[in-house]
Amino acid sequence: MEITIADVILKLIPVALVIGALLNVVPLLVFLERKICAWIQDRVGPSRVGIIGPDSPLEILGINTGYTRILGGLMQPLADAVKLFTKEVFVPAGADKFLFTMGPFFALLPAMLAWVVIPIGPDFGVELGDTVYRVQLQVADLNVGILWILAVASLSAYGIAFGGWASNNKYALLGGVRAMAQMISYEIGMGIVILSMIMQYDSVSLRDMVYSQAHGFTHWGIFHQPLAFVLFTVCAFAENNRLPFDLAECEAELVGGFHTEYNSMGFGMFFQGEYIAMAAMGALIATMFLGGWHYPGYGILNNFLPPLAAAVGLLVFSIKVMAFLLFSMWVRWTLPRFRWDQLMSIGWRGIVPLALANLLVTAFVHLK
Amino acid sequence: MASAHGHDDHGHGAAVDHSHDHGADDYGHGAGRGTDHDPRHQRTQTLMEKMYFPEIIKGLGHTFKKLFAKKFTIDYDGTDRTNPDKFHIPRPGYRGEHYLKKDEDGHVKCVACFMCAAACPSECIHIEGAPTPPDWKNRERYPKRFEIDMLRCIYCGYCEEACPVDAIALSTTYNVVSERREEKIYDRDRLLEDGEKYGLSLSHHHYRPDGVPGALPGPKAPGGH
Repeated sequence: MEITIADVILKLIPVALVIGALLNVVPLLVFLERKICAWIQDRVGPSRVGIIGPDSPLEILGINTGYTRILGGLMQPLADAVKLFTKEVFVPAGADKFLFTMGPFFALLPAMLAWVVIPIGPDFGVELGDTVYRVQLQVADLNVGILWILAVASLSAYGIAFGGWASNNKYALLGGVRAMAQMISYEIGMGIVILSMIMQYDSVSLRDMVYSQAHGFTHWGIFHQPLAFVLFTVCAFAENNRLPFDLAECEAELVGGFHTEYNSMGFGMFFQGEYIAMAAMGALIATMFLGGWHYPGYGILNNFLPPLAAAVGLLVFSIKVMAFLLFSMWVRWTLPRFRWDQLMSIGWRGIVPLALANLLVTAFVHLK
Repeated sequence: MASAHGHDDHGHGAAVDHSHDHGADDYGHGAGRGTDHDPRHQRTQTLMEKMYFPEIIKGLGHTFKKLFAKKFTIDYDGTDRTNPDKFHIPRPGYRGEHYLKKDEDGHVKCVACFMCAAACPSECIHIEGAPTPPDWKNRERYPKRFEIDMLRCIYCGYCEEACPVDAIALSTTYNVVSERREEKIYDRDRLLEDGEKYGLSLSHHHYRPDGVPGALPGPKAPGGH
């Protein structure tokens, strides 16, 4: 196939959207995480550093900015970022410098790579002159689709393992080992759940999955595979090392787990990687179970203004992903951490058999 | 033995282990020792609890309610715009930064007896006494230099207790910021100034962040302070 300049430019649209959104959403998520944590614990959360708020520029100019308890700390992530960037990069004595440096990259990169195959919005055509350019809101429609996500999601375990191994610290090592064991255990359950979803949609391409969930709510995966949805959500938490499965960090017993020895932007990148991986899982859930970018009225809107329909689809998709992210924060500050044996027990004796049963039932239902 | 008591998740294994020697049978679970056999862990779970998910949803419901619940935080400096009068006011017995008082003539009340410096466990008070100028009729000595190193001070309040002429006292000021260490060594004039700002008399022991000196309504400390 011949690649023209127009193709490249059209491809840059989803690329720019994905990278721009991912890098900018992390500070927002950090802010939300801190706020939700605070609210659940009857506190106020960050309320000082902001456009509005007691110490804001507007207040210094004498403008009363009113109610500040909710959005008062909006610029807190900026302050956090400045702090992380200006800190000394410190490598502990005896650490493996190369792996220690690679750890954060391996945490961040796979999380972003997962977004390559996720359809973030519908295709639409733009008429320029006498040619119609088709814009695809998906970075790459790989024919392996969801298998790509499974592959790169496993890569992110390396980041944690590298970080834990190279730190020359027993707590970091324990955290890294735990993360590896946990990810391997839960990936099996997750893989089986994904298998049943592949059967359900008869395709491994995420794009096909989204298009087969068109025509209204009732076609969404969550209504056809509710058990798979629950299992996948649990696996997604475990895969991202989120509470209640954050045994790899486990502040109470492992100091900070795999990132005990990290500071400055190395820590920042682990942090970013965690949130982007969460967002990727949210995107996967939205794509497989919540109809992707589909929303009621897309057909009508698409008939007379395709770009607008695509923009709304993009928005709807981000809302769905954000809903998952908010849910995971909510869960994080509700549930206590599992014990290690409980975690393994849930993974192997709970999720794997249930996922297998689900796979079996799906196979029978779709037997043709 | 354990099966006789009904619920026996851990019972059979432990029963072999001479468990009755440990007296855990009182709890009815034939348990031996160790955390697994702690009677608190052996409460029979109902079916709903065993299913786990209903309990999680219950918990999520609770935290969801908490999201919108009233917050306990008080903005200590009064920056809560919904309630600007609400700032943290310490109780009258609170021991904050010191101040020096003046007598009726407007002179420093201190007589440079060194009682506070002697009582100070952290040795943060430095006094240099001198004979009073001739027009000070009520006493013979006054502090030429009176410095408190606030970085050394542990705010125990012994100086206030030791003072025979009630010249030094602790205010309720707690939120004072300095940029350099030297600023935290308060000299006589600074302490007197603070006295004018924060403490008109012992019964007006409070300081108000709005700059208005005077008593705020609140429970009186024992002893009229």
